[in-house]
Amino acid sequence: MSTLGEILHPGFLLRDAVAASVLVGAVCPLVGVYFILRRMIFLGVALPQLSAAGIAFAFLLNRFIAGPHLPGHTNVPALARLGAFVFTLGGILVLAAFERRGREVVEARIGVTYAIAGAFTILFVAADPWGDAQMVNLLKGDLLATTGGSLGLLAAVLGGVVLTLILFQKEFLLVSFDRELALVFGKAAGLWDTVLYLLCGVTISFGVMTAGPLVTFGFLVAPPLTARLLTRHMVSFSVVSAIVGGVTAFIGFYCAYRYDLPLGPAEVATTTALLVLVGAGSGLRRILQRRPA
Amino acid sequence: MCLVKLRDVSLGYGRQPVLEHVTLDLERGEFIALLGPNGAGKTTLLRGIVGLLPVLTGTIEYGFDRWSSPFGYVPQRERLDPTFPLSALEVALMGTYAHLRPLRRAGRTQRQVAQKSLESVGLGTIADQRFASLSGGQMQRVLIARALAAEPTLLVLDEPTAGVDAEATAAIMDVVSRLNREEGLTILLVTHQVRMLRGIANAVVWVQDGRATRRCVDEVE
Repeated sequence: MSTLGEILHPGFLLRDAVAASVLVGAVCPLVGVYFILRRMIFLGVALPQLSAAGIAFAFLLNRFIAGPHLPGHTNVPALARLGAFVFTLGGILVLAAFERRGREVVEARIGVTYAIAGAFTILFVAADPWGDAQMVNLLKGDLLATTGGSLGLLAAVLGGVVLTLILFQKEFLLVSFDRELALVFGKAAGLWDTVLYLLCGVTISFGVMTAGPLVTFGFLVAPPLTARLLTRHMVSFSVVSAIVGGVTAFIGFYCAYRYDLPLGPAEVATTTALLVLVGAGSGLRRILQRRPA
Repeated sequence: MCLVKLRDVSLGYGRQPVLEHVTLDLERGEFIALLGPNGAGKTTLLRGIVGLLPVLTGTIEYGFDRWSSPFGYVPQRERLDPTFPLSALEVALMGTYAHLRPLRRAGRTQRQVAQKSLESVGLGTIADQRFASLSGGQMQRVLIARALAAEPTLLVLDEPTAGVDAEATAAIMDVVSRLNREEGLTILLVTHQVRMLRGIANAVVWVQDGRATRRCVDEVE
């Protein structure tokens, strides 16, 4: 049987991992679109790292309260999700509050957040040797460990994110493109900003828990950048971003399985390779269009 | 009929007033220009009137329902990010969002309103062009179309002719004066160009040294 046939077979052993890859790959770009448009790409680096720090902190806190971790502890994923979500959401709300107070200062704050989050992740892990191995897996993002239950939860949460993005697309677009106009129209711009950040926080924390910070950041940024080169309208920008993310995640999974590569890096390499290809094609087209006939 | 009535108003940023003791009436159907040196507070006054800045002291009363008939707000185009993949029609369509509640999508009616607004500023044929690819003057007219799509009582423009060439300036002023003259739309406009106001504006509000005073156009030429 061909590798592709094997992966697509309903009885494939890693079927849940494939589905989780495609889900994260398709949904992360939908919130990443707003990161790109609001020129907050660096948040896409800092927040997954902050999410990882949250996971590490939740583990450490649990150790102090409930004692050392035991393999197979049932509360571990929930604990990690809670830590990831609280840290991500807290970080995004604080950083977003400073978003409109000068671009350079904001970028400096995001950089500092990334550095602090990275340092504290390591420190939290070092302070909790019992949870070390399990936590390192979570921080790396163990897509292959996806179970039916965790996939169901991921699908439900990310499905909710997509539905909310669709239902309130005009509100998110208005506050992102021209917040002042939203205020002049009497719209609750602060509320819509908060809902959008909440969606980003949920997507990133579940993305990090499922696939790790590297994959989450890669899919937040690369597919929307690719789609921006191919589309002219807001709706097609979002749709193409999600399609590019989902398809490249699947191709990445195929390559990792076929050539025995680490899954997360293979997926990120695939989606960034497409970005480079499309970018080169777009640049070439511009050069050819400029050449006199 | 008075559309906007400012009484002893102070406006500023934080607790620091930029303008103080401003008393001003804006009547329905008028064309008023806000003039003054750079940094005098023209935009501050405009932002205060549309509710983007809180009033520090005094009161602003409105002779119309700001939510059912919102301000037609035209910001400085440099404030808007060209990275957004939006067509001219999609930008104009945003004006109709003023009347759309959450969960209500912009449909055929709203698209027709946006298209008609683009046509009224002479840009009906470029509806599908990317907003970022338009010239400065065209962008500004698309923003005027967006403001018109909100079906406003009062059109408020913040330096619509800044950074555009003479031809585009004439086109913009032609659109704005026609909207005032033919459709009776009340206009409040921030500008530095006094000359182009002759025969168009009813009066100017001169903003300087923290004060705003209403004058005839001829007085400031």
